[in-house]
Amino acid sequence: MEKIISIKDLNYTYPDAKHPAINNLSLDIYKNEWVSIVGKNGSGKSTLTKLIDGLIEAESGTIAIDGQIINEDNIWEARTKIGIVFQNPDHQFVGATVEDDVAFGLENQGIPRDKMVTEVDEALKLVKMSDFKKRDPQSLSGGQKQRVAIAGVLATKPQIIIMDESTSMLDPDGRRTVLNLVQQLRQEQDLTIISITHDIEETELSQRIVVINDGKIVQDGKPVEIYDLGSNLRKFGLEEPFTNKLISTLGDKLKLPEGYLNEEELKQQLWKLHSIM
Amino acid sequence: MDKIILGRYLPGDSLIYRLDPRGKFLLTFYFVGIVFLANNVASYAFLLAFVLFAVYLSKINLGFFIKGLKPVFWLILFTVVLQLLFTPSSHPIWHWGIFTLSKEGMVIAGYIFMRFILIIFISTLLTLTTTPIEISDSIESILKPLKKVRFPVTQVALMLSIALRFVPLLVDETTKIMDAQRARGVDFGEGGIIKRIKSFVPILIPLFVSSFSIAYDLAIAMESRGYKDGEGRSKYRVLSWSKRDNLMVIFMAAVTIILLFLRSY
Amino acid sequence: MEITFDHVTHSYNPNSPTANLGLDDVSFTIKDKLFTAIVGQTGSGKSTLVRHINALLKPTSGNIKVGERVITSETNNKNLKPLRKQVGMVFQFPENQLFEDTVEKDIMFGPMNFGASEEEARESAHKMIKMVGLDETYLTQSPFDLSGGQMRRVAIAGVLASDPETIILDEPTAGLDPVGRKEIMELFKGLQEEGKTIILITHNMDDVADYADEMAVIHRGKLITEGLPKEVFNNQDLLKEDLLTLPKSAAFAKELSKKGFQFDKLPITIDELGIEIKQQLNGD
Ligand SMILES: Nc1ncnc2c1ncn2[C@@H]1O[C@H](COP(=O)(O)OP(=O)(O)OP(=O)(O)O)[C@@H](O)[C@H]1O
Ligand SMILES: Nc1ncnc2c1ncn2[C@@H]1O[C@H](COP(=O)(O)OP(=O)(O)OP(=O)(O)O)[C@@H](O)[C@H]1O
Ligand SMILES: [Mg+2]
Ligand SMILES: [Mg+2]
Repeated sequence: MEKIISIKDLNYTYPDAKHPAINNLSLDIYKNEWVSIVGKNGSGKSTLTKLIDGLIEAESGTIAIDGQIINEDNIWEARTKIGIVFQNPDHQFVGATVEDDVAFGLENQGIPRDKMVTEVDEALKLVKMSDFKKRDPQSLSGGQKQRVAIAGVLATKPQIIIMDESTSMLDPDGRRTVLNLVQQLRQEQDLTIISITHDIEETELSQRIVVINDGKIVQDGKPVEIYDLGSNLRKFGLEEPFTNKLISTLGDKLKLPEGYLNEEELKQQLWKLHSIM
Repeated sequence: MDKIILGRYLPGDSLIYRLDPRGKFLLTFYFVGIVFLANNVASYAFLLAFVLFAVYLSKINLGFFIKGLKPVFWLILFTVVLQLLFTPSSHPIWHWGIFTLSKEGMVIAGYIFMRFILIIFISTLLTLTTTPIEISDSIESILKPLKKVRFPVTQVALMLSIALRFVPLLVDETTKIMDAQRARGVDFGEGGIIKRIKSFVPILIPLFVSSFSIAYDLAIAMESRGYKDGEGRSKYRVLSWSKRDNLMVIFMAAVTIILLFLRSY
Repeated sequence: MEITFDHVTHSYNPNSPTANLGLDDVSFTIKDKLFTAIVGQTGSGKSTLVRHINALLKPTSGNIKVGERVITSETNNKNLKPLRKQVGMVFQFPENQLFEDTVEKDIMFGPMNFGASEEEARESAHKMIKMVGLDETYLTQSPFDLSGGQMRRVAIAGVLASDPETIILDEPTAGLDPVGRKEIMELFKGLQEEGKTIILITHNMDDVADYADEMAVIHRGKLITEGLPKEVFNNQDLLKEDLLTLPKSAAFAKELSKKGFQFDKLPITIDELGIEIKQQLNGD
């Protein structure tokens, strides 16, 4: 598999901070992967995002995007390959209307207007917000604003989308639509997704979970492997998945297979037990 | 905050809405200029008729324009009363100490009042029918020639549009912070002047802190989307000057000529 | 304190073309000493609703009874302090309200506004900081040097310090990690057990199932239903119209019921679900 992001021995300490926010961190992310990054408040997740996008500069270590180690000269090019959707929908809306906002990234790249018009339309169609083209941000719900933010990111055709708690301020409905949309786009557009979240259920959509604690990677594996950590997850500020909690209330009397089961598997198992009763 | 009409955009659609904002912007200024040419009842009446006609074309309820007067009501009243009572006259109707009431005073006060109405109505018309961003685009376009002397027109325009984007966020933030402090027992606008000023500390500090963090977030979001320094950007929004804008200019020229004629009438 | 909404309507920017109904003829009662959850989609009017309880907003028509006090459109802005002392309010991102140079002073701010002496306020600050799970050494620090989660706790302590009888929480745990969220939720549950009335706005249906005694669903400014969480989450009409999301346990039970399993009423917590599954599998 092809590496799209490769981070080596990265260190970063905020000015005046006592402890490093990122502490000798190395991480490889592959093309078309969906990687979840999880960890306590203040563990360094957002800092890592900003480092990857060159928004802050590492003290030491390297970051390669699409095979190229980023430095001051090529950071603008690297940035066109990465799109970030942030947490607070209100703090990332730059344009005065939906279409203006989507166009912002394209304007920055100096794309001619005719081309912009079609690309803005296309991006809005992808997120199903075409009808809202002329609306101003205040008249949109949080979920709608986040979809516009995604459209703005998609318009510039990035290879990587980073979502930094992009669904955390949304209601369950808004959350679901945004996640489904991202999943679908990943498949259709061959995107790599990095999603930062506190919601363990959200990580089920990903192929890999990276757990960060105090600026270091403490776990990295398939969701099943991470969920198998059981109550150890609490050390990293995480919740156990629903099925784990349910299985522990069911006790050992029921004969269920060892290890993590997802909802579908647990359901099948329970149905089986029910039918042989 | 909700009650201020002047400076607010009202979504809508009519001829006035569809005019090129540059034209609207310049013609509004031009009109404010020619208001000062009016010098008699006929010319004022004519300008009022023109403004009312423009309001009619905008399809916006006249009530909005009257509301637009509210914030400056006291200023108008003060100026008008000043003119009424202090215009020197050789035939005073009434006289008391330093105060004089005369026919001339009344006429001048009436004119001043009319000027206020005309200027406020026409500028309210501009802001009600033109989004802030259109105004900022117009300013950019009007200032474009200054690029030759290295004036950072594009950056200034973007700054202006971001500032405009910031205003509602800050208004929102202020309301939230005020609510939070009210819930903790702060009474705004109660007690003596010192107490009143003090009661704003719990607003100003949090507001300062959060405007910084909003600005930081916004800056990060802009940079992550490739915003560099305003150079080499293309523009999505374009302004287009059409026939009806030409018509408007001609119409305004006609208004000026009639006004000049009425002046010496 | 019992809180009663009687035909409450609230219109934002009335008499203007941008007028919109934040609340539309809402009548219901929030019972004394219970934990009531208020849910609904973004923009449905939850925040508008609770802001009436301490008169941050006043109804356009109708009235709200908070204990003995009645709030109507005519309610004067003066003399609201006793009401606001009784009804504490924690907003979304409450850390945005911090402003003093030490944590202690910030926590003391509320009680002193409500007329407590400096001593009383200080005593209360020392008690509350422990209550929210921080130790007294934090009192001398600047609130701006703390982490987000710690600031959140200090802000909550600042509201609790005035010893309100009713505590309103408007999405108080947004952005916290699950462990932090759980700690904060347990804190509120503990306060209820001490005899306080708790009103919680949330998008997290599992929290509703786990902590609330009563719940109300708001949709487009209208109260569409209220009652025991177990009843409300079993209201087929609401679920059909997608006005409500189920807690995970209920959703899973619903899946199970497609084959073999039968639930008279969908269980809403993991414990309930576990018991039901065991019963149905062991046949006892
Ligand atoms: N602008 C800043 N200046 C100084 N320190 C900071 C800044 N931003 C973050 N930190 C500190 O760096 C560490 C890592 O913060 P970061 O925001 O990356 O955490 P996070 O994992 O994203 O947390 P959360 O889940 O709360 O979003 C924390 O200790 C935090 O207090
Ligand atoms: N200050 C205001 N001026 C005008 N309209 C407002 C104002 N505050 C809220 N509204 C409108 O009133 C309605 C209800 O808003 P409210 O904030 O009560 O919703 P909510 O249920 O708390 O939503 P959320 O889950 O997003 O917090 C929305 O349509 C909103 O746009
Ligand atoms: Mg973060
Ligand atoms: Mg709300």
